[in-house]
Amino acid sequence: MRNFAVLLVKEETALFSSPIAYAVMTVFLLIMGYSFTLTLFLSHQPSLVHIFFQMFVLFMLTVPLITMRLLAEERKLRTLEVLLTAPVSEIEIVLAKFFASMSLLALMLLLSGSYAVVLVLFGDPDLGPIYSGYLGLMLFGAALVGAGLLASALTANQVVAALVSLSVFLLLWIIDNFGWLLPSPFDALVTNLSLSVHFRPFAVGSVYLSDVGFFLSAALLMLLLSVRALARR
Amino acid sequence: MSVAGSPIVLAQHVSKWYGPRRAVTDVSFAIEPGEIVGLLGPNGSGKSTIFRILCGYLAPSAGTVAVAGYDVMTDSLNVRRAISYVPEDAPLYDHMRVGEFLRFMARIKGLRGAASASAVEAAAARLDLGGVMTMPTGKLSRGFRQRVSIAQALLADPKLLVLDEPTSGLDPHQVIAVRDLIRSLAGRHTVLIASHVLPEIEKIATRVMILLDGTLLTTDALTGSREHPALRLRAAGPEAAIRATVSSVAGVRSIAAEPCGDAAKQPAEPASYLIEAERRSSLAAEIITALAGRGIAVSELSETAPDLERVFLDLTRQPRKAAA
Repeated sequence: MRNFAVLLVKEETALFSSPIAYAVMTVFLLIMGYSFTLTLFLSHQPSLVHIFFQMFVLFMLTVPLITMRLLAEERKLRTLEVLLTAPVSEIEIVLAKFFASMSLLALMLLLSGSYAVVLVLFGDPDLGPIYSGYLGLMLFGAALVGAGLLASALTANQVVAALVSLSVFLLLWIIDNFGWLLPSPFDALVTNLSLSVHFRPFAVGSVYLSDVGFFLSAALLMLLLSVRALARR
Repeated sequence: MSVAGSPIVLAQHVSKWYGPRRAVTDVSFAIEPGEIVGLLGPNGSGKSTIFRILCGYLAPSAGTVAVAGYDVMTDSLNVRRAISYVPEDAPLYDHMRVGEFLRFMARIKGLRGAASASAVEAAAARLDLGGVMTMPTGKLSRGFRQRVSIAQALLADPKLLVLDEPTSGLDPHQVIAVRDLIRSLAGRHTVLIASHVLPEIEKIATRVMILLDGTLLTTDALTGSREHPALRLRAAGPEAAIRATVSSVAGVRSIAAEPCGDAAKQPAEPASYLIEAERRSSLAAEIITALAGRGIAVSELSETAPDLERVFLDLTRQPRKAAA
């Protein structure tokens, strides 16, 4: 892993020299700022529960924009050939891209932390759900970035990568609705694949190991598959 | 793990399929340390595929490849430490500046600190990149992109340098400079260079392999020419007598009249012939003596340089004829 830091710096530079990162951050913060203000004035509740659910949806829409270029662009511009003929491992490449994307999500969440600061300054919020909400969003974001990275590893077309990720995210968001139509034990199986089912407890202040494990194992599985996809040449 | 005296590249029965299409068929060759080997073939003949397999970027569908003693499949990282690759069309990270790109490549090749800085400085000086070090690579001309790509390959002092069409897109001055650079690497590095431009390969390589439709036709196209040199004869006299006299000399394999553009040429004027013969020091004297004995005046008899073009055309024509 001696080249990981070098690759991470390269990925961070690439990410923050691209307009996509700033566009995604701006749109995210504008929508969330508007939503936070509106919710606060209408409900008069010092809570971020609604905001977390909106961030949950917005993450599904914005993460494909962040991850679509990660490997698809390298494949299309043939810089992947330069990278993979140098003495770096596929694991280092995938992890550098994953952590660079996660740093953008972390920055977005950090800036959205200003909403919590406003609540603390002018109200008396319950901090537990705020901490758990942010933890849930980071874990959820990790699973999404992993899946987006895998989609980007499988094609040289960024638009296809983004569409595939978006479709999978939206399907896994609402898949629990199909659970009602299925007999046991398939109903439980399908319901447990749902992203919203595993995120909901975080947003309302409950942290279950099963939900943490779901997002962590999903992220790890996606990273593993991305490494395999990159190694399959 | 490289063993002294063993080849730096050993490819054995390598084949590569892209789905149902076979790109490389049963290719075997060896390259000794210090050689400059050219891989010549038309576009689409499988040169880049072979290079990508050597560099560990593609896995062969069949066969084995060892570079510096390491297997490209099972010991890919060690292979990539021994090799530097310049892909065709010089793909670069367009958001990086030239200096930044070279420093990045030096670091991922394992150079750190002062070693990285001095390697970047030396490579930039060698490729004359001093004036563009702060420019984004995306804004460079094609020639400069190619030079940056070659510079990154020289960074870690690789045992094997693999260059895929390194002079494509360069102007004549740059072509000469790159050619001189590659020649200067001889001995210290092993160089494998692919091109579809025949005169270029002929000027750079010490050995030429020819590839056609994924099949390696020869691993040393010039050997035949060296063992059986071609002699150019200019002599005045009846063509039949000249042919018969020269053919009677021991060691002569063939004689052919060279095309003459002047239709109104008189029999008394000398005509040109190309003689293929075995290498023997006394052969020229024997031919001159035989022709003089028949009263035929010789105005020139000289050995011509190995003609790669002729070899290439002969070799590439045969399989097509066979296929037809």
